[in-house]
Amino acid sequence: MNDLELKKLWQTLNDKFELSLAENRSLTKELSNMKVYNFISSMKPLKIFTILAGIIWVILGAIIVSNIFLNAYTEASKFFLYSAAIQILLTAIALVIYIYQLVTIYRINITEPVLKTQEKLAALKTSTLISARILFLQLPVWTTFYLNENMLENGSPVLLIIQGIVTISFTIAAVWLFFNIRFENKDKKWFRMIFNGNEWTPLMRSMELLKLTEDYKLEK
Amino acid sequence: MKDQIHEKERTLQFQDLIEQHKGILLKVARTYCRNETEREDLFQEISIQIWRSMDRYNSEFKISTWLYRISINTAISFYRKHSKRQENTIPLDENTPAYADENTEKETQLDMLEKFINELNDFDKALMLLYLEEKSHIEIADITGITPSNVGTKIGRIKEKLKLRFSKINKL
Repeated sequence: MNDLELKKLWQTLNDKFELSLAENRSLTKELSNMKVYNFISSMKPLKIFTILAGIIWVILGAIIVSNIFLNAYTEASKFFLYSAAIQILLTAIALVIYIYQLVTIYRINITEPVLKTQEKLAALKTSTLISARILFLQLPVWTTFYLNENMLENGSPVLLIIQGIVTISFTIAAVWLFFNIRFENKDKKWFRMIFNGNEWTPLMRSMELLKLTEDYKLEK
Repeated sequence: MKDQIHEKERTLQFQDLIEQHKGILLKVARTYCRNETEREDLFQEISIQIWRSMDRYNSEFKISTWLYRISINTAISFYRKHSKRQENTIPLDENTPAYADENTEKETQLDMLEKFINELNDFDKALMLLYLEEKSHIEIADITGITPSNVGTKIGRIKEKLKLRFSKINKL
C-alpha cells in the first residue's frame, strides 16, 4: 500500500465518522457547560470529597490540639498531644502541596506544543507523589498516640518491647518509603503494590508518559 | 454591560471557530477514542479547553496549529483520565482480520487502519494523524514540539510498521 492509497483510506474513514458524529452535536448545550466549567467542576467527585475530608480533618484537629496545648497542657498525655500535632501538621503540608499541584495542573497552558505540555503535565502529576511520601511519614505516630507515662513506668516489659519494635519498624518503614517513593522506582514490585488502586492509575500513566516524552525527544 | 458585550462576542467567535474547524476536533477525537460515547465526551472536553484558551491564541501560528495543539493535548490527558475504559478496547489480532468474510477488502483495510492507529502510543497517534492529514513536517514539528527531521524519522518508522501489517493481511 502506497502513501496515496493510505491517505485515501483515511479520508474514507473520516467521511464515515464525520457524518455520524457531526449530526448529533448540540453547540448550545456545550456552551452552557463551558461557561460553568471551573477548577472545582474539572475534578471528579471522589477527589473533591477527599480534599474536603482532608480540610475538615485538619481544621478540626488543629482546633482540638491547639486548645489542649493552650488550656490543658499539663494534664494531657504528651504522647497523644505530640502524635496528634505531628499527624495534623503532616496532613496539612501534604494537602497544601496537593491542592497547589492540582491548581497548577488546571492552569497549565495547553496551547503549547504537545511534547512540551505533556512533559510538564506528566511531571506535575508525578510530583503529586510528594504528598503520598509526606503522608507515609505519619506512620510512627499512629503507634504512639495511645501511650501514656503510666504505661511506660508500670506496663508489662513484654508489651513494651513489642511496642518498641512496632514503633521502630514503622519509623524505618516511613523513612524508607519517604526516600524511595520516586519515579525511578515506578516499576518495582513494592511500588506497584502500593499504587495499585484505580485512583492511582492516572498517576502511573503519567509516569509512563513522562518516560515516553524523554524517549521521544531523542532523534533516533 | 461591557462584560456582557465581551462575553457575547467571545461566544460568537467561539461558535464560528468550532463550526469552521470541527473537522480537526472530530478527527482527533476519533484517533484517540474508538468508543462513541468516549468520543462525544472527548469532543466536549476539547471544546471546553478551546473556550478556556481563547485569550491565549498566538497569531504567530496558524489557527489549525493552535487547534491541533489543544485538541491533541486534551486527548492525551483525557486518555490518562479514562485509561481504565480504554484498556477494555479489543486488542488487534493481526492474523485474523475482523469481518473478512462478510465485508469487502476495503472495509477490512479500514478496520485494520483504525486498529493500527489505536495500538500506537499517544505521540505516535498524533504523528500518524497529522501525516494522514497531509501536514508538512514543519507544521507537525510546530504542533508536536519535536524537530522536523525527527518528525520525518518517526513517521517513516510508523509507516514501515503499517506497511508490514498490511502486507501480512494481503498474504492471508
